[in-house]
Amino acid sequence: MTGAQILFLVCAGLILGSAVMVVTARNLMHAAFWLIAALFGVAVVYAILQAGFMAMIQVVIYIGAIAIMFIFADMLTRRDVRESRAQIGRNWPVAVLLGLLILAGLTALILAQPGVGRVAPALPSGLDPVAALGKALVSPDAYVLPFEVASVLLLSALVGAVYLAFLKKQ
Amino acid sequence: MTPSDLLSILPLLVLVVWACALLLVDLWLKRKGVTAFLAALGLALTAGLALAQAGEETTAFGGMVALDGFASFLNVLFPLSGLLGIAVAYGYLKRMNIERGEYYSLLLFSTAGMMLMAHAADLVVVFLALEFLSLPLYVLAAFARPRLDSEEAGLKYFLLGAFASAFVIYGIALIYGATGTTSLSGIVAAIEAGSLGTSGLLLTIGAALFLVGFGFKVAAVPFHMWTPDVYHGAPTPVTAFMAVGAKAAGFAALLRVFVTAFPALDADLTPVVWVLAALTMFVGNVVAIAQTNIKRMLAYSSIAHAGYILMAFVAFGNPATRADAVASALFYLVTYALTSYGAWAAVIALEKQDPSAGSGQAASGLEINDFAGLGRRRPALAAAMTVFMLSLTGMPPTLGLVGKFYLFRTVIEAGQVWLAVIGVLTSLISAYYYLRVVVVMYMREGAPETTREPWLDFTWAVSALATVILSFLPMALFAWASAAGVMGF
Amino acid sequence: MSIPLSWYLLLSVALFCVGLFGVLSRRNAIAILLSVELMLNAVNINLVAFWRYLDPARMAGQAFAVIVFAVAAAEVAVGLALIIAVYRRRKTVVADEIDLMKW
Repeated sequence: MTGAQILFLVCAGLILGSAVMVVTARNLMHAAFWLIAALFGVAVVYAILQAGFMAMIQVVIYIGAIAIMFIFADMLTRRDVRESRAQIGRNWPVAVLLGLLILAGLTALILAQPGVGRVAPALPSGLDPVAALGKALVSPDAYVLPFEVASVLLLSALVGAVYLAFLKKQ
Repeated sequence: MTPSDLLSILPLLVLVVWACALLLVDLWLKRKGVTAFLAALGLALTAGLALAQAGEETTAFGGMVALDGFASFLNVLFPLSGLLGIAVAYGYLKRMNIERGEYYSLLLFSTAGMMLMAHAADLVVVFLALEFLSLPLYVLAAFARPRLDSEEAGLKYFLLGAFASAFVIYGIALIYGATGTTSLSGIVAAIEAGSLGTSGLLLTIGAALFLVGFGFKVAAVPFHMWTPDVYHGAPTPVTAFMAVGAKAAGFAALLRVFVTAFPALDADLTPVVWVLAALTMFVGNVVAIAQTNIKRMLAYSSIAHAGYILMAFVAFGNPATRADAVASALFYLVTYALTSYGAWAAVIALEKQDPSAGSGQAASGLEINDFAGLGRRRPALAAAMTVFMLSLTGMPPTLGLVGKFYLFRTVIEAGQVWLAVIGVLTSLISAYYYLRVVVVMYMREGAPETTREPWLDFTWAVSALATVILSFLPMALFAWASAAGVMGF
Repeated sequence: MSIPLSWYLLLSVALFCVGLFGVLSRRNAIAILLSVELMLNAVNINLVAFWRYLDPARMAGQAFAVIVFAVAAAEVAVGLALIIAVYRRRKTVVADEIDLMKW
């Protein structure tokens, strides 16, 4: 077992453990903090995969923006957080069953794939993943259209969110 | 980026720029009627530009988007459906005290997302277009805030939509893993190269997850449970736009992806689609019988119609029937769009603010029994509603009959006689609840209060006339839909 | 790197299913949205792993993952706005009526 493998297993344990806490924690604020732990573990996985840019934006955007938004929403709906009623619905056995079923199916599927046991090829020499990603995102023959559409998407989401949350002055 | 790249998606570009400009201009407009007019102008311009593109075939942005018969057909349909979405909403928003300029910008954004979906030749674009059309719709469903049922409709639609998109992208990720690419032409090449081996199973599972995600979007059983509540709670013009536009866009994505990229998965996926279609037709039509609220009844009717369109998919793997499958699905989409817009417009004409509900937030006039006496009070409106109900059932002399005829013919040509039988039987069941509306309108005494608004009246009148007249000359429309059945990417 | 591809894929599947369980079983709308985020992260792990193992020279997987980030941010913004709007009216975000498995 190499160092990278140990690091990966530790991260995977962190991610899955935190994820289970996210979906079972009674206190929503705790769930949001567990989400941050899971997201951080995912960032480390990206780093192991040599996707440095992804690891960075995982921390900056997912933890820095999205998770923080969740914490704000938790605080704004505070009364609910303290609610002592069960946070898990009555149909949880069905959810467990469905989850396990899909888990078993996809696991079997993945283990049956040829070549999943292979290790990663070396990055092509001279390839700078960050520079290549940047070029791909704005190159007309690659991802410039999705990139621009994503920006318009963010604009329309912004307008919609402001409309919904805006309180009219009486 | 060459000019030809931009030209090929010109209608879409114009619409997006127009929507952004409208957001700004609206700040200075006191009269929201001007905003509505400008939005309608933008959509008309877009539809015109898309019409001018008919017959062109090209790909742009390195294969991300395609311009072909399929795209230009839908790119005319989507702005027109947006236009009707504005026509039915204009008076309604005023009446319900929710006249805000954002309605029109968001509707334009959502329409742009639908048009992008029609163009999509890469799964990345499919996913983005799905989100681009859905996010404004979540907000529009909650547009009648602070009306609680509308807000809850928005929230429910959002949670289900986010859940469904997670399935869609997980499916796309697996497809990417199996083929090493997300472009539809690349996937076809990878399948044809035959290098997949057992990765083929990964591809099939990816395609199945993709189907589940879009099953939510087009409201196919068993992924339909959100539909009645959302259609019921959302402001009625938004419901109409959702029922037509979002459903058509969902089917556009399914048609494009399944017909171009996955014919090779035919043997595995056709049984799944078969069961989905049969279940959807059956559950939609049977549960609709029990409804007393017209919005919920039309919601189940919209589920049932998703089932009819899904029937076309059992023919997608067969090269001989593939083009027919696309053409008859598109034809049926047009039929359903016209008829359902008309029916929703009639519902809007009867809907009013409930004075008993405190601050006047809730709407009333939405029970089927509220249509009693409409035949005497508004003969023209009642006649139009009768046409829509006949067309939704699939009876002459309406476009609905022609649409069903083409669909059943395709299904039978594909050798799925039993599915066609289920389709016919469930249509017979549906006659019960559609004709009940007609009976209530003409046979029962009542004094419904209706609204007369020029644009609303225009919508149901035009839809009713088109539904009848086009049924006598369907060939022109079908020829156009057949031209759209040819997809290059 | 000595880690087999299957490890990443299995991690992703497990994370996806945990998220799926959360969406189906949680009663609180915010918690449901948190679970959707787990599912999206599972997708991104898949995408980045496939990029690294299948064709690191083309950036398709990573670029897709970046797009998923943008979409996730937009979704969360709209979703939390909706949740807060409903909360204002009802003083609760327990999604009893938003029961996802209701037929």
